[in-house]
Amino acid sequence: MACEAETLPEGMVRIPTGIYHPFFRATNDPKEITVKGFALDMLPVTIGEFLEFVRTHPQWQRSRVKHLFADDSYLKNWAGDLVPGANAPLDTPVTFVSWFAARAYAESKGKRLPTVAEWEYAAQASPTEADGRNDTAFKRKVLEWYSTPAPEKLAAVGSGPANFYGVRDLHGLVWEWVLDFNTAMVTGDSRGDGGIDAQFFCGAGSQGAQNPDDFPAFMRYGFRSSLKADYCVHNLGFRCAKDL
Amino acid sequence: MKTKVLVCTAALFLAAGSLFADESDTNAVHRSCCMPAVVPSKPLTDKSLYQLDSTWTNDDGKAFQLSSLRGRPQIVVMFFASCQFTCPLTVVRLKQLEAALPPEIQAKVGFTLVSFDSVRDTPTALKNYRTQHALSSDAWTLLNGSPNSVLDLAAVLGVKFKQDAQGQFSHSNLITLLNSEGEIVHQFAGLNPDNQQMTAEIKKLVEH
Repeated sequence: MACEAETLPEGMVRIPTGIYHPFFRATNDPKEITVKGFALDMLPVTIGEFLEFVRTHPQWQRSRVKHLFADDSYLKNWAGDLVPGANAPLDTPVTFVSWFAARAYAESKGKRLPTVAEWEYAAQASPTEADGRNDTAFKRKVLEWYSTPAPEKLAAVGSGPANFYGVRDLHGLVWEWVLDFNTAMVTGDSRGDGGIDAQFFCGAGSQGAQNPDDFPAFMRYGFRSSLKADYCVHNLGFRCAKDL
Repeated sequence: MKTKVLVCTAALFLAAGSLFADESDTNAVHRSCCMPAVVPSKPLTDKSLYQLDSTWTNDDGKAFQLSSLRGRPQIVVMFFASCQFTCPLTVVRLKQLEAALPPEIQAKVGFTLVSFDSVRDTPTALKNYRTQHALSSDAWTLLNGSPNSVLDLAAVLGVKFKQDAQGQFSHSNLITLLNSEGEIVHQFAGLNPDNQQMTAEIKKLVEH
């Protein structure tokens, strides 16, 4: 008999256990990582949803947030603490949020942020296949997005096609925070040297690129490695995950 | 320019053997009994790391809040005890730094080592580390925390880390100087921080 379907929180889908091939991996790491089945939000968190969160969690309102947890750009496109305003339509993805804010939101829902492995694993699905890595049309679409600057006004969430699992907007709308963003240790040559970040690491596990022609994956790793947990930027939002 | 990654081919296990906790070491108890009677009561500043409300465990196995470090500038490093390459070097560096400080400055700063390794760096393992490296109990704090606490602290410090399949951690080598309110004043990256500059920064903080 098939198992009963788990009752998932509204708006989440089940991503079944599967194999993820990390783009960067330590020399000692396996080529494949088994990603345990998890639940993932079908859509990125919207401004409307985040507005509800800051209503009930006033410490995350723009004028009250501690600057340890969010830089000066926090919710910069909002008109006021509880007024997103014309530049921040309620159905668009919330951006200008820090990693800490994203985590706090997820916790308030009894959820968490997805890990890099979970996010990348879910994001390799094309509209028709769980593993879209050989789907050239899909890959081209994704690549097109990475080569287009983020528009001033973001589109509403859910406007992109659903992937194999029914998840939308993993590509094509905004970049997304992941729980372990600060494990991406691409430095120096991949994104221009500069500052303290380009200084030494103890590469107890040093890394190598698995599939150098997967340019979008490379972009994401480079981007994550440039982030700090208090950064709030225009094209970086998030969605939540949950253990099954 | 090549990515500056130092490969640490460290052995995987804690140097086991004769490293038993020193039962006679009760200084930590003295320390807690001799904390200043007047605890600063004004709210923490906007950028104070002591706003992190995670609970840690020190090498005496006692629950520990970062905010209890308030009032004394701290030199903070994230490490793991079984690291056989850069972490011991960093600790040696810090001990040299400590020894080079004038006594009146030395007495006013603390050194905090926070482990990446929630699983293996138990209080006992940290106590062994303290003994092995002769870290005085009045100046040095050694902490273990949950993976989430470690993630949070690494995030506010800007430390990147990753555990490989063998359990070793790749990590930034970053020495952070916190003022008495727990705000980041200075960070020194790499294996060879300028001791003179660090000393000067510490003096400035203490004399401030």
